[in-house]
Amino acid sequence: MSARSDALAEKRELAGEGVGAGWFRLQHKAAPYLFVAPFLILFLCFGLWPILKSLILAVYATNGPKSAVFVGLANFRFLMADPDFHTAVRNTLVFTCWSIFFQLPCALGLALLLCARWVRARELFRLAFFSPNLLGQVFVGVLFSVLFVPQYGLLNHLLHALFGIALDTKWLSNPALVMPALVLTSLWMYVGFNMIYFLAALQAVDRDLYEAATVDGANGWHQFFAVTLPSIKPVAVFVLITSTLGSFQLFELPYIMLRNTAGPDNSGLTVVMYLYNTGFITGDLGYASAVGWTLALGMLVVSLVQLKLTRAMKGVGD
Amino acid sequence: MRPNALQLAGRGVVYLALALATAAAITPVLWLVAATTKGPDDLFHYTFFAPRLTADSYRRLFTTFPFLRCLMNSLFITGTTVIVQLFFSSLAGFALAKYEFRGKKQVMLLMLATMMIPGQVVMAPLYELIYRIGLVDSYLGLIIPGAVSVFGIFLFRQSILQVPDELLHAARIDGCSEFRIYWDIVMPVSKPMIGAFCLIGFMGSWNNFLWPQIILHHQERFTLPIGLNRLVDLYQQQYGMLMAGTLLSVLPVVILFLALQREFVAGLTAGAVKG
Amino acid sequence: MRSFPFGSAALAILGLALASGLWLAGHPIPSKKATLTLWTFADTHYNFYKEAAPEFERKHPGTTVELQLVSGQAVTSRLQAAFWADLDVPDLVEVEISSAGSFFRGPLKDVGFLDLTDRIHRRDPVTGKALWDSMVHTRFSPYTSRGRIFGLPHDVHPVQLAYRRDIFEKEGVDVAKIHTWDDFIKVGRRLTIPNKRYMIELGDGDGTNLEMCLFQRGGGYFDAQGKVIFDNEVGLQTMLWYVPLVAGPKKIGNTLGGGQILTRAVEDGYLLCLVAPDWRTKSFEKDIPRVGGKMALMPLPAVTPGGPRTSTWGGTMLAITKHCKHPDLAWEFAKHLYLDKEGLAERFRGTNILPAYRDAWKQPAFNEPRPYWSGQRLGSLYAALAPQVPVQYTSPLVVTAKGKLSEALVACVQQYNTHGAEGFEPFARARLKLAADQVRKMIARNPY
Repeated sequence: MSARSDALAEKRELAGEGVGAGWFRLQHKAAPYLFVAPFLILFLCFGLWPILKSLILAVYATNGPKSAVFVGLANFRFLMADPDFHTAVRNTLVFTCWSIFFQLPCALGLALLLCARWVRARELFRLAFFSPNLLGQVFVGVLFSVLFVPQYGLLNHLLHALFGIALDTKWLSNPALVMPALVLTSLWMYVGFNMIYFLAALQAVDRDLYEAATVDGANGWHQFFAVTLPSIKPVAVFVLITSTLGSFQLFELPYIMLRNTAGPDNSGLTVVMYLYNTGFITGDLGYASAVGWTLALGMLVVSLVQLKLTRAMKGVGD
Repeated sequence: MRPNALQLAGRGVVYLALALATAAAITPVLWLVAATTKGPDDLFHYTFFAPRLTADSYRRLFTTFPFLRCLMNSLFITGTTVIVQLFFSSLAGFALAKYEFRGKKQVMLLMLATMMIPGQVVMAPLYELIYRIGLVDSYLGLIIPGAVSVFGIFLFRQSILQVPDELLHAARIDGCSEFRIYWDIVMPVSKPMIGAFCLIGFMGSWNNFLWPQIILHHQERFTLPIGLNRLVDLYQQQYGMLMAGTLLSVLPVVILFLALQREFVAGLTAGAVKG
Repeated sequence: MRSFPFGSAALAILGLALASGLWLAGHPIPSKKATLTLWTFADTHYNFYKEAAPEFERKHPGTTVELQLVSGQAVTSRLQAAFWADLDVPDLVEVEISSAGSFFRGPLKDVGFLDLTDRIHRRDPVTGKALWDSMVHTRFSPYTSRGRIFGLPHDVHPVQLAYRRDIFEKEGVDVAKIHTWDDFIKVGRRLTIPNKRYMIELGDGDGTNLEMCLFQRGGGYFDAQGKVIFDNEVGLQTMLWYVPLVAGPKKIGNTLGGGQILTRAVEDGYLLCLVAPDWRTKSFEKDIPRVGGKMALMPLPAVTPGGPRTSTWGGTMLAITKHCKHPDLAWEFAKHLYLDKEGLAERFRGTNILPAYRDAWKQPAFNEPRPYWSGQRLGSLYAALAPQVPVQYTSPLVVTAKGKLSEALVACVQQYNTHGAEGFEPFARARLKLAADQVRKMIARNPY
């Protein structure tokens, strides 16, 4: 094999001065530009340009592109004072917290259950846990809006039989229960998805570390904190940040589950839904852009904080 | 070493927990399957299956609702989007992983910066743009903006970085053109990542809701999510058909997932585990 | 490049894309360049217009009509987007009553609909009668902005109560003796068994039913000048009266959901009365077929003796857009769909919807006994109530106002559930004012 390629290299060398070599060098030089070009063109037109455009829009009040009135920072001022926006931010943050502090630990727990070497049919379990994610937010929303039906719905019958909750518990029209319903639904949908990451990370942990820890006399909990957590930390940070960003963009699930509304007393209103309502229902694209940029800024800040915090934790762990 | 009694009990608890979690994951899907077999008036009369099974919901789905058309629309839009995404992203990801060229740093920074911006921010100006180039209410109006996957670029860049440079050098010495290297060497060794990417892209495009809802006007061009969502509104609630449609709609994703499960898990987590 | 390097899955996806592409190419969308396009959001409308269109095309040779069924929730956003982008704007469009107002946001000249005021008031040279005289006047107000009419009303939507006649008879309830809400509530207290049976379907999660009660009492979201009024005395009294019906230990109203959920709730006798605007009676016939013959209709109880025995819920207008190149032809088509007596009679049989065009009500279809409704003459019953249908005014912020009233209701329900009647009045007053003030603030923000 190597002898053959040497021979070919020689041949190439010999032909070095010919037309072929010129073409070869040229295509080598041009290749990266040509490879990036198709994507870059699309990206500039359909990714970057609308972003810049929305930056401009954010300082206008509009009624469609035809009649825009320059309002400066008034959009942002109104936003900060608007109780609906506060509700949207609060709901989004609450949902995000549930995702981080409830759903991710559940995912990690499932992964820990599955990662033991003696567990049989692991692939089957993994498949079962992951399968809800395949449905997608729209179809999950449709399905759960029916499962949460009061009096006749599956969930109420189940919970009634198990915990004796009232059969006519109205998950989706009682403002106090909408968020729990959303959290449960997203737990069902995403816990298996995040588990996959944790499981892969757990399986990649160096077995020797455990053995060393066992020799040192570490018990289960010690092992978990001394070996497991530090080993899976890169993955954990990745999962943490992606699911935070995902939670910040929550839209379809509540929108479909609550029949294209924000739910009773805006209990299912999220920031993106607020953006959609102001931009595409009320018709103020400028205001919607202001909301969008506020959201983008919030996402940036939160993920930077998360990165910083987790980095600080590394200092402690080391 | 044989497990002792305590360990056996522990295993029993773990299996019990796993079984419960499995039941929780499967039951709603089981209910969905059952719901599609009930008559329209019996949906809430029986918890799971009714004594009388009927394919009525499916029959009405195909006769009173343009389900086949929606399915074809979804398949075409999703399939095309995934293939275009795959080709462009892997090509650019390859360039960003294995070449040094002017502007590379700036391009990557720019992409990274836009990744932070939620897609909903750009919907209004994007609609305007799509309108200007005359693509409203067309398949292209969905496919083209959908083909821009910055996420895909970084996914491919990361995986192609693992490909040893020697492999590329050897190929160059063999006289392979750069595109040939991409096509014959880099892509075949990136197959796990491609599998994962196909599934992620497929699911993303298949389940896309808001953008098609804004872009598409003709019912004949509706994709499955927006077509089916129409079955339940203020004036009518066709839950039986909706459930049947939902079940059929998720089948392609399930099949794809079953085929790609291994690659998906490996590819999806490779970046995260190493990153 | 001999082999496909992306693997078999990608190849399969490519194959699917090609196959579906071929299928789509084999089933092209008939792309006739129609003279007129019309968007509607309701299946039932769509099916009837599809039957009515060919006749119009015959009457106006060379004219083609294209009908599009646009999703109910999407029609607003899509029309909005179409107006903004000047693209794909239909010539005629049906808009739901609650979203019509949002199209009146900018200055009058920027409203995307054609001003129909003059056409509606123009007197016919032969009969001396204007269209205005043949229509139910109150139905124009939701489609009127600054005195100009932008839509032709499709319907009147008077409200009655649909009830389980068999159960009422078994319980010895004589609906002829129910004149006022007080009478009704008295019966309701007797028949309601908590968690088993409720007198009436009334919602506590959004303002749909509250709104109907507000209208019945002469209240509303806005006055004719577009000022917010839902926190006035009428609004407060409605709220104080409504909340105890759906909250607290003595509630007689409950709601579970629509469609097949309702099927079971009504069959089981969980809900005895349903709020029934004309359009909803058709949904009941379709969704709850097994109670056919056991259902009947009664007028809404009056607030005070002798007061109006109806209210209104829902509605649609037909508008012609300014983008329409043949406004006169579009107007003819609108009249063909909305004012053709035989067509309206046929439509009534299929939808149970009483048209806003009074002249059509004399058609025999409106006087047919309906077996589902225990032989009642559905059309005549609704037509008799139509003159009492309350007026409602709109504003660009009508969607917001509806949302805010719903929020206030939900907050009041929560308050009543936890604290009971004690201190409820000041709470409701403050909460309503808060909600109304939020809408006022948004109106003040509109730069137009």
